[in-house]
Amino acid sequence: MNDRFEPKIVAFLCKWCSSAGSDLAGVSRMQYPANVVPITVMCSGGVSPLYIFSAFKRGADGVLVSGCHPGDCHYIKGNLYARRRLALVKELLEHVGLEPERFQMSWVSAAEGAKYTELIKDFVDTLRPLGPQAKLRRRV
Amino acid sequence: MTASVEEIRAEVKKLLDEGAVKYVIGYRNGSAGPFAAPAFFTGAGEADELVWDPTCFHNLARFLADERREDVCAPEAEEDGKKPVGVVVKGCDSRAVAVLLQEKFVDRDAVYLIGVSCEDGGVIDEGKLARKLGTAKVEKIEFGVDGGFVVTTDEGPIKIESADILDDRCVECRAAYPVVHDVVIGEQVDRKPEEPYGSLDEIESLAPEERWEFWERELGKCIRCYACRSICPMCYCDECVADTIAFAVTADTTADEKAQKIKWVERSPDNSENFFYHLVRAMHLAGRCIDCNECERACPVDIPLRLLNKKLEKEAKELFDYDVGFDPDVPSLISSFRDEDPEDFIR
Repeated sequence: MNDRFEPKIVAFLCKWCSSAGSDLAGVSRMQYPANVVPITVMCSGGVSPLYIFSAFKRGADGVLVSGCHPGDCHYIKGNLYARRRLALVKELLEHVGLEPERFQMSWVSAAEGAKYTELIKDFVDTLRPLGPQAKLRRRV
Repeated sequence: MTASVEEIRAEVKKLLDEGAVKYVIGYRNGSAGPFAAPAFFTGAGEADELVWDPTCFHNLARFLADERREDVCAPEAEEDGKKPVGVVVKGCDSRAVAVLLQEKFVDRDAVYLIGVSCEDGGVIDEGKLARKLGTAKVEKIEFGVDGGFVVTTDEGPIKIESADILDDRCVECRAAYPVVHDVVIGEQVDRKPEEPYGSLDEIESLAPEERWEFWERELGKCIRCYACRSICPMCYCDECVADTIAFAVTADTTADEKAQKIKWVERSPDNSENFFYHLVRAMHLAGRCIDCNECERACPVDIPLRLLNKKLEKEAKELFDYDVGFDPDVPSLISSFRDEDPEDFIR
């Protein structure tokens, strides 16, 4: 046993690309940290800012939202709405003083299992030195 | 600011005389010292009570939500109900109406907008005034002849420079002239504030950790009275995600019902819940807040809420070149996108 801090990441993955990408990483037996709690959503455009704030409130150390590359959205433009809305979420979280590294967004296609594993490895490595996220965590 | 109260009164009187409007929402002298209060004028005789002075802070667009809830403009309503409602709007208020029109919340035919241009003036900041005058008892606040204000206290009238007591939002105002209107009183003056987002400079220059401490201190004061929500012309939802009144868990609430009505935020004024509430409110006002600053004015514990809303207004402008409330016919900020929207933060 080592007492290294293991960050907990909540990942909202779109059903059509990123979720399939993480699945590909799994079936291809690519190794990546087990710090992620994946939540499949139908589209990154359906990720409400509420989900992100709520994840942080319930103790997530990092939140990832991942969707299809622009142009590849199953719903044509859901990821483009997400891009705009979540850019504002990111700015807002930074504005109130949350470490900007704690919220990330990515485009991962169904074929990018390798990119997904790299992404998670990097995310875990950036979160580890930050320590537990206590700012937005619920205390009641 | 030279828009004359006589002209506004004459317009209101004319509208009420002709029966062109159902009633007019304007300002009259309030019971709290020298400050104006919102008022509803139903008869032409009352029009003389209407006031126009630098204490007309209130965004009267707020009352259009109540009006719409009563559904007076529905086809089946009484003949009288089909008449529009007259509203006295400053530049900022008219942009609030423009957003409500953009969201199709209010019909253009349902409102008659009596625009008042603030020209190169604006409204005062009560806090700045109190700091400036100390303990002197203020009786009346009027517009001066050359910008500036004339404040009458128990020790007589004093001239005060505009810069000393003008509200921050008016200092940073880009459009004192009503954007949508049926009639305008006052001249159109081009305003180009030197620093339209100047009030954000201080907080943006802080390190993340200092910013956190700032907000932890400020939002920690929140008593969750929801005054900011109640006074906001944009917070017109019947059911608020922060305060789900229709969701009471009883012995026979099924798991299914609980799953469908998620309680996102607890009512306890703990800081984690306060942050959640204020972050959600800021997001819900992104691209909609027109900086009338009513939330901050209404806040009983002086939380600088404007710094949250102004930040997103600034980002909307800088990231997406989106101006809030200038055109009721463009799609709203988060229901649209451009191909060239920045994505350098996305991997």
